[in-house]
Amino acid sequence: MEYKDYYKTLDVPREATAAEIKKAFRRLARKYHPDISKEANAEQHMQEVNEANAVLSDTEKRAAYDQLGQGPQAGKDFQPPPGWNAGFEFTGGQAHNFSDFFSELFGKQRGADARQQHHRMRGEDHHAKIMLDLEDTYQGTNRSITLRMPKLDNQGHTILAEHNLNVRIPKGVYAGQVIRLAGQGGPGLAGEAAGDLFLEVHFKPHSRYQIEKKNIFAALPVAPWEATLGATVQIPVPNGLVEVHIPENSQTGRKLRLKGRGIPAASPGDLYLVVEVVLPPATTPKKREFYQTMARELAFNPRQSLGV
Amino acid sequence: MSYEIKGILLEDALLNLDQLAESCQVSRKWVIEHVQCGVLLDDKASSDPTSWLFDSCSFMRVRRILALERDFDSNPELAGLVADLFEEIDFLRNSLQKTKLHK
Repeated sequence: MEYKDYYKTLDVPREATAAEIKKAFRRLARKYHPDISKEANAEQHMQEVNEANAVLSDTEKRAAYDQLGQGPQAGKDFQPPPGWNAGFEFTGGQAHNFSDFFSELFGKQRGADARQQHHRMRGEDHHAKIMLDLEDTYQGTNRSITLRMPKLDNQGHTILAEHNLNVRIPKGVYAGQVIRLAGQGGPGLAGEAAGDLFLEVHFKPHSRYQIEKKNIFAALPVAPWEATLGATVQIPVPNGLVEVHIPENSQTGRKLRLKGRGIPAASPGDLYLVVEVVLPPATTPKKREFYQTMARELAFNPRQSLGV
Repeated sequence: MSYEIKGILLEDALLNLDQLAESCQVSRKWVIEHVQCGVLLDDKASSDPTSWLFDSCSFMRVRRILALERDFDSNPELAGLVADLFEEIDFLRNSLQKTKLHK
């Protein structure tokens, strides 16, 4: 496992006070906050910062971590010396979100304590994100996901193990919803039930569609004569092809609503096609002549509303 | 060996107070206080906590507020305000994406 230099992660000296550590953590928690950060890999950074803070803000964990000394270099392979944590007491907590290094150092206590005290304890509920393609929600899909989960080994120690799940994603799910997988969270102790796994649904960005909850928006490119005279055109939508009637005198930006063609939730969303008039380029003398005829015959002033 | 696990949407099986508290690792008291000060469930909440039901949106909001309170020692009202702003940012980002459709 790789040694983690938690002081370096929080950018504080080893002799930093609790107040300095808190201040450094908050600064970085703002910088890498997943909802607003523009930093690359903000979420991963935030996890590292959380892990470092979980150790350095906890007196017992910090003291035990400091026992390891400054010898190991961050990122280098590392094994803690035997008995390194003698005399310290701490609980596991959140180990499933943290590194192997954290799990090895601090994730062992919960199982061992519970075994000694014969505690019965339901497993912890876990949380993860799942990224879906828009098309997945139209029919429901199976997704294979791999999670790192804490697991008790034969000695009752918590270790991080990869956990593969083949999950049936229900049809009609949309971003921001949460899928619950009963019994797929942390293991229970002394015969108690495992916790649940909660998957937060996100969609991968799509080249054609914008998704807003259950509604979907897509551009509908049309020729000027289709927009002006009206037309019925074929257009691909996430679950096939549809024929759409474009009303005459449609302008760019006009929204055509296809009711119930959005995400097929219990109460289905709508699909909005946003008209985009595309002009044919005047690349030949004949095509130029067409435009010149239009200019003469139509006497159209698109800037009339501007008073010019 | 991999077998199929069926996922259930929270909207199809809403969480009650105890389930929400357990899944987000907070106390019942924490949830009740946040509902009572208007940070969760808005004005939809009845006075009887056993009748409260929480959907995906409430669930995600609890996780957001909890992280804000834990990371910044914020009080519930301030965390609720920041969560409101994040939700507004999500909405505006979505609107911005839609305006880019014909560009």
